[in-house]
Amino acid sequence: MDSLTIIREFLDSRLEIAPETVLPEAKLDDLDVDSLMLAEIVFEFEDRFNLTLPRNLKSPRTVGELVALMDRLRSEQG
Amino acid sequence: MNRRRVAVTGLGLVSPYGGDSGDFFARLLAGESAIGFLRTEDVPRPLAMPFVACPGFSADAALGRALAGTLDRFAQLGVAAAFAAWDDAGFPRRAAAPDRESWGVTWGTALGGTLAYEKGYRDLWQRGRERLSPLSLILGLNNAANAQISIQLGLGGVSMSHTVACASSAIAIGEAFRRVRSGEAPVMVTGGSDAPQAYAVARAWEGLRVLASSDESGAPQSCRPFSVDRGGLVLGEGGAALVLEDWHHAIARGARIHGEILGYGTTCDHSHLVRPEAAGQQRALEQALADAGLTSGDIDYINAHGTATAEGDPVEVAALRAVFGERAARLPVSATKSMHGHQLGAAGAVEAIVTLLALRERALPPTANLADLDPACAGVDHVLTARRGHTLRAALSNSFAFGGSNAVLAFGAVA
Repeated sequence: MDSLTIIREFLDSRLEIAPETVLPEAKLDDLDVDSLMLAEIVFEFEDRFNLTLPRNLKSPRTVGELVALMDRLRSEQG
Repeated sequence: MNRRRVAVTGLGLVSPYGGDSGDFFARLLAGESAIGFLRTEDVPRPLAMPFVACPGFSADAALGRALAGTLDRFAQLGVAAAFAAWDDAGFPRRAAAPDRESWGVTWGTALGGTLAYEKGYRDLWQRGRERLSPLSLILGLNNAANAQISIQLGLGGVSMSHTVACASSAIAIGEAFRRVRSGEAPVMVTGGSDAPQAYAVARAWEGLRVLASSDESGAPQSCRPFSVDRGGLVLGEGGAALVLEDWHHAIARGARIHGEILGYGTTCDHSHLVRPEAAGQQRALEQALADAGLTSGDIDYINAHGTATAEGDPVEVAALRAVFGERAARLPVSATKSMHGHQLGAAGAVEAIVTLLALRERALPPTANLADLDPACAGVDHVLTARRGHTLRAALSNSFAFGGSNAVLAFGAVA
């Protein structure tokens, strides 16, 4: 499953955010994804793909940046 | 000290019957048991015990999915109860209100987020996972309910949890009462919640040999306080909340006043963790009466702690006899846990609501399943069926906890 779909499904189940509004250019702040929820999304990827995220990563601001980060880690560690 | 009168302007609970506090009280008057049966398929041995659940409660519906997802079951029940009490008090949710910076929350929970911790243990040790979700810690916090109540209602004063076993929410209410009475806060949200159905928690209670046992068909009648054949308490989940308000503040905004908190007493037996002592309970009763400026002759009803344990019930009656003397035999007493079970950290708040509604509705709920009184529990006027139409002026609610902590709340009817 691609990273954007995983993020959309997660936000739909946890925050009832309609998947069609989770677009690459959407800001995480505008979607009410706070630091705790972002940590939960990251954990979802870590858990699902057995990834380990470096602790000093720059926090993504948009859905597109989050997707790019997850895609990169999946390709490096997957 | 300039003492303010303390009104109760909001009542809210998550009821095992599914309705609001008025419906809850009506079911108790009717003698209707909320006790069902808990079955789980947990390893290594399935749970099967009488239990009071709130099957009609949907956290997503009551709180919204986003909020519900950040709370363990005990906190979901608590925040939902607080919302119900807040709405009942007629306050708008999250209105911009700078005056709320001194309004606060005190909350009781005996167990906190044990379901969340148990899930973590299972994930790590049973399922072999190596890490836990970031929310795991947040879900398990004992102060999760009061913190989220403060956040959701925009309350900037004290936000504190009280963990005092079965007296947790009675003590939370008492501490909130003191803050309103002293003028520290004009409005306090208070109450308690617990969800004791975690496998290890239920097994731990079972190990103490204080739980009623029965098969599923006998569960509704399995809790029999003061009865010679009583077999112990019935665990339950629940949440209950009150809004306490400075009397003049309530009058000024035209609030409906359900009743008044008149006094609060809290003591410790300082003798044993699980064996109660009448002397400590007696001191709590006397302290509550003195704090309220009442004498034993002013009390028209007592909602007993009455858990239906072998040791606890006669000790409580002995304490009542010691405080009320010759009048004890005419003192109406009932143990409503016989119907709504023991919600641990929520119990004191549930029973505070029952006591307030008894005063407001001039109706006394019964002790269910009391067909054969234990002679050791005699000497008070046990209410066996609902009584209506009595003039009720003041009443007490007892909460006596493991650890020897005792709490007694005194309530007054609105004239």
